[in-house]
Order: sequence, then C-alpha cells, then structure tokens
Amino acid sequence: MIEFHLDGRSGVAPYLQLIHQVRQALRLGLLHKGDQLPKVKDVAAGLAINPNTVLKAYRELEYEGLAAARPGVGTFVTGTLDGGSLAAHGPLRRELQRWLTRARRAGLDDESIEALFASTFRSAREEDIA
Amino acid sequence: MIWLTWRQFRAQAITAAAALAAFAIVLAINEPSLSSMYDSSGLLTCHGDACAGLASTFLQNLSSGGGFLIPAASVYMILYFLGVLVILIAPAVTGVFWGAPLIARELEAGTFRLAWNQSVTRTRWLAVKLALIGVAAMAVTEAFSLIQAWWAAPIGKAIGLGGGASIFSEGRFGWFVFPTHGITPLGYAAFGFALGVTAGLLARRPIPAMAITLAIFAAVQFITPLWIRPHLFPTSRTVATIAAAGANVSLRANPKLTLTAGVVPGQPGAWIMSSEGVNAAGQPVSAIPASCEQAVSQALGSHRGTTMGPGSAALNKCVASHGIRVAESYQPASHYWPLQWSETGMFLALALVLAGYCFWRLNRRRS
Amino acid sequence: MTAVIETEGLGKRYRARWALAGCTLSIPAGHVVGLVGPNGAGKTTLINLATGMLAPSAGTIEVLGGRPIAGPAQLARVGYLAQDAPLYAGLPVADHLRLGAHLNPGWDADMARRRVERLCLDHRQKAGTLSGGQRAQLALTLAVAKRPELLILDEPVASLDPLARREFLQDLMEAVAEQEVSVVLSSHLISDLERACDYVIVLVDSRVRVAGPVDDLLATHHLLSGPRRDPASLPGGLEVISASHTDVQTTLLVRTSGPVLDPVWTVSEVGLEDLVLAYMKQAARPAPRNNRRHLEVQK
Repeated sequence: MIEFHLDGRSGVAPYLQLIHQVRQALRLGLLHKGDQLPKVKDVAAGLAINPNTVLKAYRELEYEGLAAARPGVGTFVTGTLDGGSLAAHGPLRRELQRWLTRARRAGLDDESIEALFASTFRSAREEDIA
Repeated sequence: MIWLTWRQFRAQAITAAAALAAFAIVLAINEPSLSSMYDSSGLLTCHGDACAGLASTFLQNLSSGGGFLIPAASVYMILYFLGVLVILIAPAVTGVFWGAPLIARELEAGTFRLAWNQSVTRTRWLAVKLALIGVAAMAVTEAFSLIQAWWAAPIGKAIGLGGGASIFSEGRFGWFVFPTHGITPLGYAAFGFALGVTAGLLARRPIPAMAITLAIFAAVQFITPLWIRPHLFPTSRTVATIAAAGANVSLRANPKLTLTAGVVPGQPGAWIMSSEGVNAAGQPVSAIPASCEQAVSQALGSHRGTTMGPGSAALNKCVASHGIRVAESYQPASHYWPLQWSETGMFLALALVLAGYCFWRLNRRRS
Repeated sequence: MTAVIETEGLGKRYRARWALAGCTLSIPAGHVVGLVGPNGAGKTTLINLATGMLAPSAGTIEVLGGRPIAGPAQLARVGYLAQDAPLYAGLPVADHLRLGAHLNPGWDADMARRRVERLCLDHRQKAGTLSGGQRAQLALTLAVAKRPELLILDEPVASLDPLARREFLQDLMEAVAEQEVSVVLSSHLISDLERACDYVIVLVDSRVRVAGPVDDLLATHHLLSGPRRDPASLPGGLEVISASHTDVQTTLLVRTSGPVLDPVWTVSEVGLEDLVLAYMKQAARPAPRNNRRHLEVQK
C-alpha cells in the first residue's frame, strides 16, 4: 500500500497533491489494478488532514476512472494510466532535451530555465481554465 | 453521578470516619469509670429531695482529682468540654471543608467546564452532591452528638436531678447543651453545609468562601441562643418567694439587686430565661434594701475582694423579709422537644432556601 | 444539510463592551470548522455561548436544533474541550474514564480504552502530572468517547509543542473520519487549522468578518496585481478586501463570484493564511470605537 505525504508549502491544494501521488504511483508501477488505496481514516490520521479532503481526492480519481469505492471495504484502483501516454514520453523527452540545449546556448542558467518553464506552465493552465 | 460524588468526597469521608472513630474510642475507654462512679453515687436508688444533694456530690467528685492536662481539670471535665466543643464546631467544619469548596473549587480550577458538559445537567450534578454530602454532614454531626450523649448520660441524669458543680451545671436547655443534643445538630449541620456551598458559589474561590462561611456560621451560633431561641415560643411568667425559687441575691452589681433563680416551683426541669426581683405590687425592684446593709457586708466578708458570687442565706432572708419576691420568665420542661423541632426546622428551612438559591443561580449561565 | 450551530444577531455584552456583536452564522453539519481570530476577538465568547456557559445579551443561538444545554439529551450530543484541557488534577486517568462512563449514557468504553492504550497513558497516573499534550489527548478522549454529534474545541493546541500539536490533530482527524462528527475548533493561528478545516469563520474585533467553506473562499478570493490604479475605478462586482500600492504597482485582494477578465490584472490564487490575514487587516484599519485597552474578556 502506498503512503501519502503532503508538502505544506507547495501552494498546491492537498487533495490535488494526493491525486498527483496516486497517478505518480500508477506510472511508476507502485500501484496496480486491483490494489487498495489507503483508507480515508488512515490518511486523515496520518497526515492530520480533513477526511473530506481525502474523500474529494478519491472521488476525483473515481471520476477520472482510475479508482472505485467499494462501500464498507475501501477504495480500489480500477484503471491504469494507459501505456499510450508512456509511448508518447519518448519523443516528448527528446524534444525537451533539444529545447534545453537551445536554452543553455542562449545563456539561461538553471534558475532562469525553471522560472521560464514555471511561468509558461502556469499561464498555459490558466488559459485552459478561463 | 453518585460514583463521582463519592470519588471526589472519598478523602473527606475517610477523615470524618477516622475522627468519629477516635472520638468514640476515647470516650468508650473512659465510659466504664464514669458509669461505675455513677453507680456508686447512690443516685440510682435515691428519692425526692435527697437526690439533689447526692447528684451535686457526684458531680463534685467528677470535677475533683484534677491534674489531667490542666492542673485544675479532671479527665471528666476535659472530655466533657471537648465533647461539647466537637459537636459545636462539627457543623462549621463540614460547612467550611465540605461545603465551601464544593462549587468554588470547580469554578477556580475550571473543571466545571468538564463536569457540567457531560450528559448530566447542572441541576442533577448539584442535587446529588448536595443530597449525599449534606446527609453525610448531618449524619456525622449527629453521630458525634449521640456518642457524646451516651458517654455523658450519667452527668445529664445528675444535672436533671438537681445537681450541679463547676462545668457540669447546664441542663438540657443550657446554651451549649441545647444545640449539641437532641436533633438540633442535624439542623445546624444542614445549615452550615448549605451556607458553605452558597458562599463558594458566590465567592467563586474556596479560601474566601471558607472564611465567609466560618464568620457567618459563628455569628449565627452566637446570635441564636441570645435572640432567637428565647423567642421561638411565648415565655411563661411566674412570681415566687425567694426561698421557693431557690434564688440567691447576687452581689455582682451591688447595690443593684440581682436575683438568680434556681428552680421554678412546680415546674421541674424548666428553662429559666430571666429572673428579677419584684415587690409586693409586682413592680421590679432595682436595689438591695438599705436595711440589709449589714447582711451585705457579712456576705461580702466571706467573699472579700470579689463583687461577684451568691450572697449568703442571711442576705436572702433579709431581702425576702421586705416582701421582695422573684419573678421568673421561663419555658416549661415540656417545651423542650417543641423547641428542638422548631430550631431544627428553622435551620433546615434556611438550608433549603440556600440550596434553592444555589440551584437558581447555578443555572443562570453567567459562566 | 442541517446546521449544527445557527445564530441570529448573536451578541454578548460585558458592562459597556460587546465581546461579540451581530453574529449571524449557519454552520452546516459534516465539516471541521475553524474559528480564527486574534486573541480577544470573541472566539471563546462564541464558544461559551454555544456550549451554554454564557447566556446571550442579544440575538439567538441554536445548537443542533435546540437551545444549548437544554437537557441531558442535548448535553450528550455535544462534546466540549475547554481551553487548557481542564481535568481533575488529583484523579488518575482511569477515574477520568470512569467519570465519562458514569455521566454519559452514550459512552463508548471500548473506544476510550483503545485510545488511552494507544496514547500509552498510565491508568493510575494522576491527571495533574501528565504532560500538556497528554492532558489534551485525555480531554479529547473524554469528549469524543461519548459519541457526540458536535465537538467544540476551544484553542486545543495553543499551548502544545509542535509534536504534541501534530499528534493531537492526527487523533482528532481520525475521530472525525471514524465517527462522522462535526467539529468546531478555535485558534488564533490559521496555520494550526489549515490542513484540518474545510470551513472557516474569521472573527476579528467581536464581529464575524467572513465565513464559508474553504474551497468556496479560495475560489472567490483572488490576488490581483497590476499597474497603479485607484480602487474606486474598478468594475463593480469586485469587493476589495485589502489593497497595497507602490508608486507604480497596485496589489489587491478581492472577493468576487465571477472571473476577472480585465487583462491588465495578473490574477493569482490566495492561500488561506493570506486570506485570513487580509480580513484581519481590514478589520484593524478603521479606528476602533471600542476601547482596545480592555482587559481580556472574562472567561
């Protein structure tokens, strides 16, 4: 069974962090179809967070088709992050490596690269929402 | 709630039980010698007027043989004095140590926020505590009283037969005997306890509450025999000759005439509340007749250096020969139990009023 | 959803000063409610009114649909943990549990026993000798094991060290998960409450400044930064909570129900702590009418 952790200073809402960690675990092969996710009570007690937050994360995972709740038993993984996205990783990774080389040649140091990436990432997300 | 009351009261209950046990043991050790003295005093078989003299002799014997703790006191005197003292202060002690901290300690420590938010109402919380601990206070005080009465039975009988010596002189109606025997201890204990609880509720801190309780209770114990008990029932008045009343002219405020009556003729065991000299017309006489001067100086002669004390038989006869008689106001012996019930009832009612106030105030929610 | 606490114009006055005024709230069930505000803001007063320790000077309050401490049944439905976890110093842990068992018909003895075992509390140890964290935990056990529908906690972690604080909150969250109990807890530090609460009430200077589910509050409050601008010239529908200006830049914290579409503003999200602080600053700005030199409210 996986164990959750929270980064209180990341500015990301706790329930999103939980969802993210489940997806990450699925990607890394720590979670498989049929595995049980930690009980709401245990997550709430372990992280000292509101159980509703955990429920919200689990509900969102259910909505995305990644998990399903069995009343009285627990929440279980029902889906996988399909290999299709894994297949796309290869070319995306190579593109990213080329972009990084160009950024370095343009004179950007590590921090500037991260700042550029972060602000572009954020504004792209906001454009999606608005 | 009963369990909680007991658990919080446990230490005090054990202390009270230990005190009662010690009290009983001390008196029980002494009791055989007291009753054997009584048996050998002849009072069991005496008749009529002879009894008074035998009784006084018996009580005199009890007071002699000093050197117990205090040079002038016999063991019987000490035990008698202490016994009465314990019964007198027991209601104050329970009021101060059981009553005052009852609510006050919860308020001071903040534990009322724990106690009054369980699933019992404040009314129920207070009711159980008042009932159980209040009854305990009454029982303990009455137990002291009964134990002492058992030990002092011979003394009481001797005084009742007309005897008297040193501190063994007050009968049933005596100012320290009346509140410590019969059922009055119950009333006092209930009142003292309720007083303590109320003081604690109002003062909100145990120490000030204890001081207030002690002060008020002491005042009440002082006021009651002076101004309350004499007026609970209408007094009777009678006029009798000095001889018949066994009265003595007292030299206390010479030349003022002070007559101290010993008995009320025809009313054995009566409570004499006051006595004064009256002339043939029934008017009060304030001074010793001048012609009794000689008798006065004779009487003073045997009490040289004191202005107190009884006069002599000669002085009594001289005063009586002027037609001066003694007017007594008294309560007959038959009023003893009605007085006991009245005084007890009065204090029980006071206790209930105080308790009722506590219930009302407790539920007013001013934190 | 029914409301666990419902107030209408609730107020409490001590002589000349209103410790709480014009408080109108409807706290829904099923939440962990954080009552935040500086010391002296009225949090304890509100809690005392809700637990029946005080009677209102104005307005009404209903707890679980009834008057506070209306009777034993009402008392049984509300668990209360007062500030500084009052316990009987001379009574051992085991006797405190017996107290709970004797005085509460709904007492869950198994749960109480399990909790005490898990906390490794010595049954015979007197409560006065326990550490601050242990006292808080024991007091929480007493409040929770009677299976209330509503749990009210007055600054439960204020005097605890960080580890004890975390353990207490962990325990509380576990109880919430297990029992479906609504919780109202007060604190003067929002950081204590951020993880645990999904509903927040901000109380400053005797008045409720903002109240609502955390998600709603975060979704409707935004930080706008842009070129220096007079707040009066903003479009309607934007309520400015706090504003700060430099010579070239204006930063506003606004409350709005719709999206901010004006492209001149950079919109970013606000954290709960910044949101609460903004409301506290807003309350502090007008010169207070009541004398701030008051002593702390009678507790």
